[in-house]
Amino acid sequence: MTVSDTAVASRRTSRRREARVGLLFVLPVFLFFLAFRFGPAIAGGVLAFTDYTIGAETSWTGLENLRRLADDPLFWRALRTTLIYSVLAVPLSILAALGMALLVRRSFRGSRLFRSIFFLPVVTSLVLAGIVFTWIFSAGGPWSSLLGSVGLPDGSWLSDTTLVVPALVIVAVWTRFGFGMLILLARLQDIPRELEEAALTDGAGPWHRFRYIVLPELTPALFFLAVIETTMSFQVFDTVYVMTGGGPAQSSYMLVFQLYDQAFRYFDFGYASAIGLALFVMTLVVALIQRLTLGRDR
Amino acid sequence: MTALSTSAAVEAAPVRPDRRRPYRALQPGRGGRAVRAVLLFLGAVVTLFPFYAMVVLSLKPTGAITMPDSLLPWPISTEAYERVLGAESVLRWTLNTAVYSIVSVVAVLFLASLAGYAFARKRFPGKEVMFWSFIAMIMVPYHVTLIPSFIVISEAGGVNTYWGLILPTLANAQAVFLMRQFIKSLPDELFEAAMLDGCSEWRMYTTMVLPLIKPILATLGVFVFLWHWNDFLWPLIVGQSSDMRTLTTGLASLNAENAPLNIVLAGSVVAFVPIFMAYLVGQRYFTEGVTMTGVKG
Repeated sequence: MTVSDTAVASRRTSRRREARVGLLFVLPVFLFFLAFRFGPAIAGGVLAFTDYTIGAETSWTGLENLRRLADDPLFWRALRTTLIYSVLAVPLSILAALGMALLVRRSFRGSRLFRSIFFLPVVTSLVLAGIVFTWIFSAGGPWSSLLGSVGLPDGSWLSDTTLVVPALVIVAVWTRFGFGMLILLARLQDIPRELEEAALTDGAGPWHRFRYIVLPELTPALFFLAVIETTMSFQVFDTVYVMTGGGPAQSSYMLVFQLYDQAFRYFDFGYASAIGLALFVMTLVVALIQRLTLGRDR
Repeated sequence: MTALSTSAAVEAAPVRPDRRRPYRALQPGRGGRAVRAVLLFLGAVVTLFPFYAMVVLSLKPTGAITMPDSLLPWPISTEAYERVLGAESVLRWTLNTAVYSIVSVVAVLFLASLAGYAFARKRFPGKEVMFWSFIAMIMVPYHVTLIPSFIVISEAGGVNTYWGLILPTLANAQAVFLMRQFIKSLPDELFEAAMLDGCSEWRMYTTMVLPLIKPILATLGVFVFLWHWNDFLWPLIVGQSSDMRTLTTGLASLNAENAPLNIVLAGSVVAFVPIFMAYLVGQRYFTEGVTMTGVKG
C-alpha cells in the first residue's frame, strides 16, 4: 500500500465516521419529529377525510367532512368572526407597536424602563390576561365605569354580541404590541443616523423624516409583523376559552375554538381535522402573500 | 410561520442599545419631550393597570368587589393567599407546571443542540432533506398536528401523565433551526483544532460545543421555559384530571367554576411571580428569545 492509498483510505473511514456521528446526533430529535410532527401532519390531513372517534371504528368518508364543513353555518360564522377579529387586531396592534417604538426609540432617562413595561404583557400568560380582563370588562368593572363616566352605554362588553369581539381585540392588542415594538425597535436602531441628519439639515420636519426615511426602512419589518400577527390572530384560543367560551350566542366563536369544541367536547376528530385543514390553508395563503410581496420588493 | 419569516426574525433579533450619543438636533425639543412623556405615561398606565388590578384585588377579602373602592390598595387581606397556598390543588398545579417547563427545557436544549451541531458541522447523507423538512414543519400550524398528536398520546396511555404532556413538545423545529444557525456562525478554526487533538465526538460536544453555545442556550432556554409555563391548549387536553392540571388550566377551571375573584387572582399572582422574577433578572434573554422565535407562549 502506498502512502497516498493509506491517506485516501483513512479519509474515507473518517468520512464514514463523520456521517455516522452526524446521523446519530440528529436521530433522537428526528424520532420525536416522526412521532409528533411529520406523522401527525400527514395524519391531520388524512383524518379530515375519515370518521374517527377514539375507541370506535374508523371509516373512510371521502369528502364528507369537507362537504359538512361547507354546509355548516357555524363554521362560516366562526371563519367570519376570526377574519373580523384579525382585521381589527392586526392593524391595531401594529399601530400601537409602531407608536410606542417611535416614542422609546431614542435613549433618554427612563426609556429602558418604558421598554420593559411595554414588553411585560408579552411574557404574561394569556390565561391570566383573560382572567383579569374578564373583570375589567364586566358590568360595573373599570371599563364600563369609564364608559359610563363619559356618558356612553355602560353594559358589559363581554355579554354584548357586537362588542365582544372588540373586547377580545383590545386584549390582543394589550398582549401583542410589546412584541411588535421590539421587532420595530431593532430595525429602527439599524437606520443609518446620517440619513436622518442629512434630511434634517435639508429642513425636513419630523413628519417628512418619518414618511420618507423611517417608514420605507421599516416596511419589510412591518410586513414580517403583519404575517406573524395575522397567523397568531387566526389561531386565537386561550382568551376566547377563558373570557367568553365562544359566547354570547356564539358571537365570539372562532376557528380554533370550534376545532377544540368538535374534537374534545364532541370527540368528532375527523370533522375537527377538517377545520384544522381550513386553518392550514388560511396560513398558507398568508405565507404566499408574504412571499409574493417580498419577492416584488427585492 | 414560515422559514422565511423566521430567518427575518433572526436578523431582527439582537436589540442593540443605542450607545452612540444621538445627534442633538434629532432629539425632540422641549414641547416634543413633554408630549412624549405624556403619551408614554398613558401607555404605561394602560399596560400596568391589569397587573395592578390583579395584585390589589387578590389582596381583598372574599366578598363583593365594588368600583372604584376596590381599586384602592387598602384594606389588605391575605385571606385569598392563605386559601390558595393552603390548597393542595394549587401546589400540585405549580409542581406540574414546574415539571412540564423544566424537563422540557432541559430536553429541548439537549436534543436541539445535538442536532443543530450535526446539521451545522457534519456531512451525512440526507442532511439537507432532513433539515428542510424540519423547517417546513414550522409552517404547519400547531393546531393541525394537535389532534393526531393527542390520538398518539391517548392510544399510548399518556393522557394524565407527565410523559404524555412533555414528549410531543420536544419536537421543536425552531430550537433546532436556531441552534444550527448559531453553531454555523462560529469560526471553523475552533472545531478544527479540537479535531486535530483527536477528541472523541461526545467529548467534543460536551467540552467544546456546549460552552461555546452558552448564549443561545440561555436565550432559547428562557424562551422554551416561558412557552411551557404559559402553555394552555396542550395541557388542557392531556392533563384532564384535576391533579394533572398546570397553573394555566387549573386557574382557567377555577375561573370557569366561578370561584371568588380574589382567590382566582391570588392564584394568578402565584403563577405570574416566577415569570416576573425571571424577567427582572434576565430581561435580555426574554426579549431576545421572543423576538428570535417570533411566537408568544
